[in-house]
Amino acid sequence: MKSVGPSPKDVEARICWTVELAEKTYLTRLEADHVAQALPGQFLQLCVRADFSPLLRLPLSVCAADPATGTVDVAYEDVGPKTHILSRLPSGSQVGCMGPLGNYFPDPVRILDSARLPDTNKGAVLLVGGGVGMPPLLFYGSRVLSRDPQAEVCLLAGARTAAKHFPDAVMAGSASRYRRATDDGTSGHAGLVTDLLKEELAKAAAVTVYTCGPVGMMAAVATICRDSQVPCLASLEEYMACGFGVCVGCVVELAAQAQVPGQDHTPYTRYSRVCVDGPVYDTSQIQWA
Amino acid sequence: MVDLTTNFAGIELASPVLLASGTCGYGRELEPFLDLDAIGGIVTKTITPEPRSGNEPPRIVETPAGMLNAIGLQNPGLEGFIRDKWPYLAELNTVVVVNIAAPTAELHGEMAASLDRLEGIAGLEINISSPNMRDGGMLFGCSARASAAVVEAVRRSTDLPVIAKLTPNVTDIAEIARAVEGAGAHGISLINTLVGMAVDIETRRPVLANVTGGLSGPAIRPVALAMVWKVRQAVSVPIMGIGGIASADDALQFLLAGASAVQIGTATFTNPMVGVTVVEGIRAYCERHGVSPASALVGSLQL
Repeated sequence: MKSVGPSPKDVEARICWTVELAEKTYLTRLEADHVAQALPGQFLQLCVRADFSPLLRLPLSVCAADPATGTVDVAYEDVGPKTHILSRLPSGSQVGCMGPLGNYFPDPVRILDSARLPDTNKGAVLLVGGGVGMPPLLFYGSRVLSRDPQAEVCLLAGARTAAKHFPDAVMAGSASRYRRATDDGTSGHAGLVTDLLKEELAKAAAVTVYTCGPVGMMAAVATICRDSQVPCLASLEEYMACGFGVCVGCVVELAAQAQVPGQDHTPYTRYSRVCVDGPVYDTSQIQWA
Repeated sequence: MVDLTTNFAGIELASPVLLASGTCGYGRELEPFLDLDAIGGIVTKTITPEPRSGNEPPRIVETPAGMLNAIGLQNPGLEGFIRDKWPYLAELNTVVVVNIAAPTAELHGEMAASLDRLEGIAGLEINISSPNMRDGGMLFGCSARASAAVVEAVRRSTDLPVIAKLTPNVTDIAEIARAVEGAGAHGISLINTLVGMAVDIETRRPVLANVTGGLSGPAIRPVALAMVWKVRQAVSVPIMGIGGIASADDALQFLLAGASAVQIGTATFTNPMVGVTVVEGIRAYCERHGVSPASALVGSLQL
């Protein structure tokens, strides 16, 4: 999908604060003027150590952004050296912040790439998140509701266990209704978040699904949506080096029929760069297995 | 006022700093971050005769002070490059060197003949050093004879300056350097990546789908520097130093060791403006040391 959002810049950001949202999962607010124009689905490349050690930047999805105050929020799990460093940087610390990067979920009012996107003006918004795939969905849900407080935004959140779930206050700000699932049954539905998706689809009339999370979950969501003939968009996560299209490291395989409509398929278009061609894709475009 | 200009193998450079193949795409990707005309030049991502899909992901992984990549030369092919990528590159004022790879010496020659006709192309860099190409690249670059055959085929097909990019994964890089010089290369660039590997001990599988990849970044800088120094003793054609350069200080080490110009690679991934920083840092060093032109630094290592 085409990206016509704000042009990315590499700026110095200041850490406002960090709070623990869930077990080993943090929310950090950054003051980063230009980058605060980020749209739901877009991501940042953070340089958490001035000496670039670890070498590569930390790509993180934007969880909220406010151009008026110049702030942008990221939510992440402490899973490696870079997320660990970030979660422990004190308020006032400077970090390198490149963004906003990538494309984004279609504007809830204005459809930016109508040729390739489902009509999202119709019906309810159904957000399906797993683990730390929640940030772009929370951002999108809150943007939809700020445009239309009456909008029907249902958020389905899956996690391994209750302690990993984002708190009610965060969920409530991004959805008119939300439901949880846990693998171990400690919160909400005992089982998969896709069980909840099937239930919701059975009773919804017109709906568009937005998903982000582990690849297995997104693949299952994509299959369910395809079988129910419901449009579905996914924000993908891939291991990245640059984040702006030059290294060609963060690719995803496209389904044969999705390779650049209107053009001859060549091997060149088999793999798509998640950082600049995504991270948001119509799930029917992806070769899931 | 420091004179940063240099003539590299017949290519007039505004400064001795270029962006390395595979780390600056086809130029346009860097537009939001960097004025490409503020650096000496760029070397395009490798193009092959036909379009290539590249390798299955995962293609990259971070390693201590570096990263492994096994992209596998995903590119639009010669025709797609000329049609879709060249028009933007042709408009740049900066020097554009096109990097090529092919499965045979003859196909290298055919590509060179086609590219020779492009208005504004500054030169060709021959990728006889990719460790991720099963039908070329390093397979040529590990053999002095095969390297020379590729260079000869390219030289016969074009009057453009020809730079051979060498692999460090050889017993004696000086031998390969002498062979490509003998075959008519106008310049040599080194080093491409070092073959490396990482294993996920939980899954007991290699991290990269390709199993092995090419190591780049600061980790390889001392190796690259030593190889530039070694090749400097072996040949008289100019050398472009490549390998883990992330600052002007790094670039200056290569110039002093005998490189006439440098290419910045992996550092652009983490800081897309690094090219300009390096140019300005070299300028500041020259001012501080009363050196001009900057090319006077080349090979001025005190032993």
